[in-house]
Amino acid sequence: MDSTSFLSPALAAGLELDGLAALVRGYTVQIASRNGTALGSGVVWHPDGLVVTNAHVVRDPRPVLSVGGAGEFEGRVVAHDARRDLALISIDAAGLVAAPVGDAESLRAGSLVLALGHPLGVAHALTLGVVHAVTTTRGMPRYIAADVRLAPGNSGGPLVDTSGRVVGINAMIVGGLGVAIASTVVRAFLRDAARSGAVSYTTPLAA
Amino acid sequence: MSASNPASTPASTPAPTTPSVLQSLSDDLAAAVAKASHSLVAIHARRRIPSTGVIWRPGIVVTAHHTIQREERITVTLADGTSVGATLAGRDPTTDIAVLRLNSEVGVPIERAATGAARVGQLVLALGMPGPAVTAALGVVSATGGEWRTWHGGRIDQFIRLDLAIYDGFSGGAAIDASGRMVGLNSSGLARASAMTIPLATVERVAEQLLTSGRVRRGYIGLGVQPVRLPAGVVAAHALPREVGLMVVSIEEGAPAHAAGISLGDVVVACAGEAVADPSELLAALTGDRVGTSVTLRVLRGGAPQDIAVTVGERQTRSDR
Repeated sequence: MDSTSFLSPALAAGLELDGLAALVRGYTVQIASRNGTALGSGVVWHPDGLVVTNAHVVRDPRPVLSVGGAGEFEGRVVAHDARRDLALISIDAAGLVAAPVGDAESLRAGSLVLALGHPLGVAHALTLGVVHAVTTTRGMPRYIAADVRLAPGNSGGPLVDTSGRVVGINAMIVGGLGVAIASTVVRAFLRDAARSGAVSYTTPLAA
Repeated sequence: MSASNPASTPASTPAPTTPSVLQSLSDDLAAAVAKASHSLVAIHARRRIPSTGVIWRPGIVVTAHHTIQREERITVTLADGTSVGATLAGRDPTTDIAVLRLNSEVGVPIERAATGAARVGQLVLALGMPGPAVTAALGVVSATGGEWRTWHGGRIDQFIRLDLAIYDGFSGGAAIDASGRMVGLNSSGLARASAMTIPLATVERVAEQLLTSGRVRRGYIGLGVQPVRLPAGVVAAHALPREVGLMVVSIEEGAPAHAAGISLGDVVVACAGEAVADPSELLAALTGDRVGTSVTLRVLRGGAPQDIAVTVGERQTRSDR
């Protein structure tokens, strides 16, 4: 902030956006099938190799994940929830850059959000927009509709707030709007996965 | 499954960046939406989903004419969730503006930006309320221009086009600036596939007329005209300001022009002192305040100019119910 305070707000915002994009690229992974077909995107949720994506992205039980800076890994789907449209993939890696997780409850209509993903095979495409609406069930955010341009391949990728924290997993396009599954739902999914024994953690995941 | 090193979790999670320009911009935008949303309403006057309206004055809502598909049993949901009955005060298809009168003088009028302040590149948010909550889209003012006429002949005081996505509920909603002040009333019905916003001056003028008389009066003389190029000799001989005039190709039986003695083949070159070279210019000269008054048409008949006085009537449109 100090180093950019002499810039106009628009320039400073542009520089910050660059930094933010680099941060988000670090924890956004590309997911493909073993024969190389691009399937979608994912988010590194834990440094020891846990990646969250959409259930509809993992049509291959052994997807290939390419993690920026860490190379390609064969993944194993360890939890799959078609109702929430979420899946958890484990890869044999450690020390990855995990996504900081934000609070979907802090979002309001008009809040700036970014989406990063690999739409239509284009790597690390970034789009910027505002929150259109947040839908809740029992007071908890469930879906975040955002005025961001998404395409197939964005699925499973992060919807991010202006601090680079993941507030949702991009899942679908409805009436031109990007719709993401709120981070609160991801947390519940991970809690259930841990409880069912599908995944075992020694470190708390869904804190 | 690994995740065996407890120390790795907090350490490798990058700390969120310091409070930033983006963060404060985001907060400002969300605050602008929150402020303006007190003045938005959902209007239940069509099937499928509700449309959006804006509290213009306590008890008065402005919206887009084309979203009001039902004129009876209209209800409006205010931002606080209360529901109020409403009646249609009037609608103007030419500018795509409709005004509703709420059954009680409730609602917080929207704060308005200075008229004519829209600048190309300025950040704008389009707000809609096609349900219980306000929705937002972000973009910029993509083009501004002077006064223009819609394809239905309505006069819009300033051309303001927005570069943003049009979602359900866009029409009848407000375009606001980054401080939450209204810059225009949104309509997708004025230009194909383009987000237009109707400037406040037009909303004010049309709303005023609709509230007073229930309709926007427009002049009518009953002529069909076609632009024709005038012979250079005629233009020079009579020092005509334009090289194009409007040839009369049809006259409605009993219409004001008929009564005044206009003939087929006459070429209209001016109306009330203003040169006319396009049908829209003739339409523009026949403003509502001229209804019932006499205007002078200058026509070329047999190559010679002639002034004919016509008493302007009032145009009836199908929507004037």
